[in-house]
Amino acid sequence: MLLRTLLLALRRPLAHWRLATVVVLGGAVAGSTNCRQVAGPELAVPGTTQPANFPAMVYGLAQNLPDAATFELGRALFYDARLSSDGTISCGSCHQSFAAFAHPGQALSPGVGSQRGTRNAPALQNLRWRRGFMADGGVLGLELQALAPLTDAHEMHLPLADALAKLNADPAYRRRFAAIYGPGPIGTPQFLRALAQFTAALTSANSRYDKYVRHEPGGTLAAPELRGRALFQAKCSGCHATDLFTDESFRNNGLDRTFARDSGRAHITARPTDRGRFKVPSLRNVARTAPYMHDGRLQTLAAVLAHYDHGVQPSPTLDPLLRPTGGRLGIPLTALEQADLLAFLNTLTDTDFLTDARLAAPKQTE
Amino acid sequence: MKNCRFSTRLVVLLLTSVALLGSCKKTPDGPPAVGTVSFAIENMAGTKAVALDGTAYTTAGGETFTVSTLRYYISNIKLLKNDGSSYAAPSSYFLIDVAKPSSANFTLGNVPVGDYTGASFVIGVDSTATKADPLQLTDALNPANNMYWVWSTGHIFMKLEGTVTSTTPNKALTCHVGGYRAPYSAIVTATPPFNGTTLQVRADHAPQLRYSADILKLFDGPTKFTLINFPTTMMPSAASVQVANNYAAGMFAVKNIQAN
Repeated sequence: MLLRTLLLALRRPLAHWRLATVVVLGGAVAGSTNCRQVAGPELAVPGTTQPANFPAMVYGLAQNLPDAATFELGRALFYDARLSSDGTISCGSCHQSFAAFAHPGQALSPGVGSQRGTRNAPALQNLRWRRGFMADGGVLGLELQALAPLTDAHEMHLPLADALAKLNADPAYRRRFAAIYGPGPIGTPQFLRALAQFTAALTSANSRYDKYVRHEPGGTLAAPELRGRALFQAKCSGCHATDLFTDESFRNNGLDRTFARDSGRAHITARPTDRGRFKVPSLRNVARTAPYMHDGRLQTLAAVLAHYDHGVQPSPTLDPLLRPTGGRLGIPLTALEQADLLAFLNTLTDTDFLTDARLAAPKQTE
Repeated sequence: MKNCRFSTRLVVLLLTSVALLGSCKKTPDGPPAVGTVSFAIENMAGTKAVALDGTAYTTAGGETFTVSTLRYYISNIKLLKNDGSSYAAPSSYFLIDVAKPSSANFTLGNVPVGDYTGASFVIGVDSTATKADPLQLTDALNPANNMYWVWSTGHIFMKLEGTVTSTTPNKALTCHVGGYRAPYSAIVTATPPFNGTTLQVRADHAPQLRYSADILKLFDGPTKFTLINFPTTMMPSAASVQVANNYAAGMFAVKNIQAN
């Protein structure tokens, strides 16, 4: 592309260093497995296998080959509050591991100086399978995504250059980055790719529902859960599709009649037909990610189901699936149907993921 | 892997160049003659130089404002000849930042010798560069320069921030122009006339093109804006396209051309 880019790439052969690291680590694994049968670094990185019931990864392993050192570095960055303007807010402040990296109880999370934006902190899971990021799809890649909360004045409010300066001023970070990417200052690609090794690792694919569809031990669903699943397939899977439980589309689900506060997808495309449309969220671990909706307005799953049953508001961009011909707006659900759906949604809770110590904040001493 | 491919290509390129240079030496003509052209930009607000020290500037409509940030890109510089031919400088991306005075001076090398009668440039960044993988963008285009939108993605072409001081209370002046997608593409080209002067590029001397860049023209061009009603442009929009068309039309003027 650009000559400057090319020259820089040659001066800082990032991929070569990565390759060298992997080869060295690979050698170490081969050596150690022969005598002690310990898990290799690859196995120490969560989320590096393709779940049988998932579609193919969008952000494939080869795009940022996982290794233990880089994953741990990404984890340190994710939980480092120094990456905010006043040193108080880390990524982990608003994305907590035990809540599938959502922010429990916070409709709008406070950023630096207790500022609040307009959107609910979403769960972070299965990001390898995502194409667009944010409720409006405005961010186009996992590596780049971290820049949005980092630089937003309502969140961490730290310009990228300042973040890099802080990292470069820290001997421990300098050492860790150099061990992975080679000598030289920590730049944009090294920082964002290391962080992406952590966010890409947040894979939830081990709920009771997953075991059920994969016919694995522990994969039994009770009668109400099975009824709920059938209902879900009939009434919800038009949007919450595949075992990722989202079709990644942008839809207006009838929360409002007008969208002055947040126009959603139209914020990015400037198209009137996109007003009020937001990314269909995954429902994995949905029982743990309250409150709900792009602005966190609904506190419980029961309130969400009640919205679809009788709360849907008309507007020109309301999704066609919520406008049945001849019927009233929304998805009619009896009390029993709502109970069965709730039972099913609870089977999507993945305790292995929620309690994975490798994904929680690292101990202060390394 | 990508880098391996790049380096192979570069090696091939270098070898080819060496071979070509070698063969050129044997010909009586010698290698194609090239020279350099340096650029100097004076950032102005009307008749006053732009400073970030709280100096107040007055618009054509009599409103006053101060400037805290002024940064913009100049790219895709093209030197034009009378016969309609031109030389497009490859990979020319420059970030002008009033906070970094040295950024107002930059040089193009490897310019074929000749008499040029005009120059055009993009105020901003072309869509190919701004759509590129942001992790591969370096130097002026690096997202770390704080001239990059993560949302909607792409470079901010022009960033003017300050305070409107002719209103009570004072009002923030925030103008971030960018965007490459229809219908709100803000990629604009300026071709400030040389006014009959010729830029003579020779192997043995380096001419300088000196421009003035008047930020009052952001508000005063095909579209007239008052500062009190100036839109806070932070996303690609109809207003940001209007501002871009304003600065394309009149911000830059050739001040002088030094032969050196």
